[in-house]
Amino acid sequence: MDMPHRFFSFGRIAAITLNTLTELTRQKAFYVLLIFALLLIGSSIFMARLTFQQEFQILKDVSLGAMSIFTSLLAIVATARLIPKDVEDCTVYTILAKPVPRFEYVLGKLAGVLLLLAISTLVMSAMFLVVLYTREQAMLHQTLSQMSAAPREQVDDALRAVRSSALNINIFPGVAIIYLKACLLAALTLFVSMFATTNIFTIVVMVFIYFIGHLQAIAREYWLQEHSAGWMARLFLVLVALIFPDLQTFNLVDDIVAGAAIPLGLFAKTAGLGIFYTAIYGLLAAFVFSGKEL
Amino acid sequence: MIDAAVAVSGLTKVFPVPFHRQPIVAVRGLDLRVQAGEVYGLLGPNGSGKSTTLKIILGLVSPTRGHTEIFGHDSRLVESREAVGFLPENPYFYKYLTGEETLRFFGRLCGLSGARLKKRIDELLELVGLTNARDRRLGTYSKGMLQRIGLAQALINEPKLVLLDEPTAGVDPAGSREIRNLIVDLKRSGITVLLSSHLLAQVQEICDRVAILANGVLVREGQLAELIAIENQTEFVVANASSHLVEEIESLIGRSNAQLIERRRSTTTLERLFLDATKNHEARNK
Repeated sequence: MDMPHRFFSFGRIAAITLNTLTELTRQKAFYVLLIFALLLIGSSIFMARLTFQQEFQILKDVSLGAMSIFTSLLAIVATARLIPKDVEDCTVYTILAKPVPRFEYVLGKLAGVLLLLAISTLVMSAMFLVVLYTREQAMLHQTLSQMSAAPREQVDDALRAVRSSALNINIFPGVAIIYLKACLLAALTLFVSMFATTNIFTIVVMVFIYFIGHLQAIAREYWLQEHSAGWMARLFLVLVALIFPDLQTFNLVDDIVAGAAIPLGLFAKTAGLGIFYTAIYGLLAAFVFSGKEL
Repeated sequence: MIDAAVAVSGLTKVFPVPFHRQPIVAVRGLDLRVQAGEVYGLLGPNGSGKSTTLKIILGLVSPTRGHTEIFGHDSRLVESREAVGFLPENPYFYKYLTGEETLRFFGRLCGLSGARLKKRIDELLELVGLTNARDRRLGTYSKGMLQRIGLAQALINEPKLVLLDEPTAGVDPAGSREIRNLIVDLKRSGITVLLSSHLLAQVQEICDRVAILANGVLVREGQLAELIAIENQTEFVVANASSHLVEEIESLIGRSNAQLIERRRSTTTLERLFLDATKNHEARNK
């Protein structure tokens, strides 16, 4: 069967991507994590309510927080064993013995995880929106029955207030940033797994990176305010910022919960950063794997 | 000059060991040429460098020194694997895929799709006798079935060269015989086969040429028939010989300068006995 070899083939990458997605969705861990996240989002419907603004704030806070944590956790856990397991089981030999360049194999694997994260984010978002919509409808109904004797204008104002506190357009860029943060973590986990001998090592390193990534901005601010930072300290802070992504940048949940609009510029900058980091770590992983002895 | 199916020249592979301990030399200065259309056996005990050599030929491991080619292409290049099929030792495929899904996955990696891929999958499942198990997940396959699906994936792209690393390891005699028959069929179809094994009886049955490795060094290489022939001995196998005829032959030998080394009744092989016995038992139970 003589076919000219193509240096880059979407068909080959798609085959590896879909196979990775199948592999991940046939693992119990995926369903356990997803069901746990859905339960948490669903349970926010029963949380204490004082005013409708507070109720919607709590609902968004819990749901978006759960989505952020579970997509991050899924990104790390699902990616940590992806390539090391193939190497350990010798499955990688049969794949790379075909005319498949190593970078296509790595990209296909990464794309499979990103697809899984996209599906999980969509499922969790759908659950979140259903809960939010249900509570919004209940609240509108309650407002209408409470204000049955009030003038029409007052009722309209009250209903508008309920609607603006519940579902608003800011949620969607927020969800997109949560997804991109998970993509970044998946790509970084893939890169770390290239040097790891066990999955536990990769997961432990990634947990450290996760915390450093979230705390570095606070630590940097504190350090620069409290100390007259010399060049050594500044160099250290620059190095930390270069090596570890500033994950706090991706935390837009507080703004969304407060009902503040996310400026387009901030969204574009954060999304761009997420895509940039994901691409860089993905390419670094592919580069390291290309020279790896199997 | 026609390119050899596989050409290995001056191949050395050293695996460094951390903390400056003695490095492991897996292969030393190996030279091999596998001609197109032949079945070539790479023999040697465990740890003799057979699998490392195959991995270097496939570009999975880089050589410390030396050079390998597949049909004239540097085997470090991806395009050299365009016409190659490989079955690794103890292959672990994705257990969550069915037999058919496994072949579809590997077919897509080779650029096959649509009706052409479906036809090829049907042909290969038929060839390796797994048509009835096509919808079963590989997690439920026996060792022999896994080896056969492994062989099928190695053939998905209709390769001109097939590399088999211990193809019958852990397979029962009947399964082992089927795999051997498949290798013979591959040779008949003009496909070059390079196989590594330490099961010498099997290799003797199917290989045209062999190389014997010991501690990463090539110790013998050549046509199998020439390597195993004993120059000054002749063997007769006679059916229905009377005791008188046998005595006459012996006395003839005694009167000459020749020496009778051994006289024995012909026997079948233990494998043949096993296969016949199990086959008869199965036939009676049907």
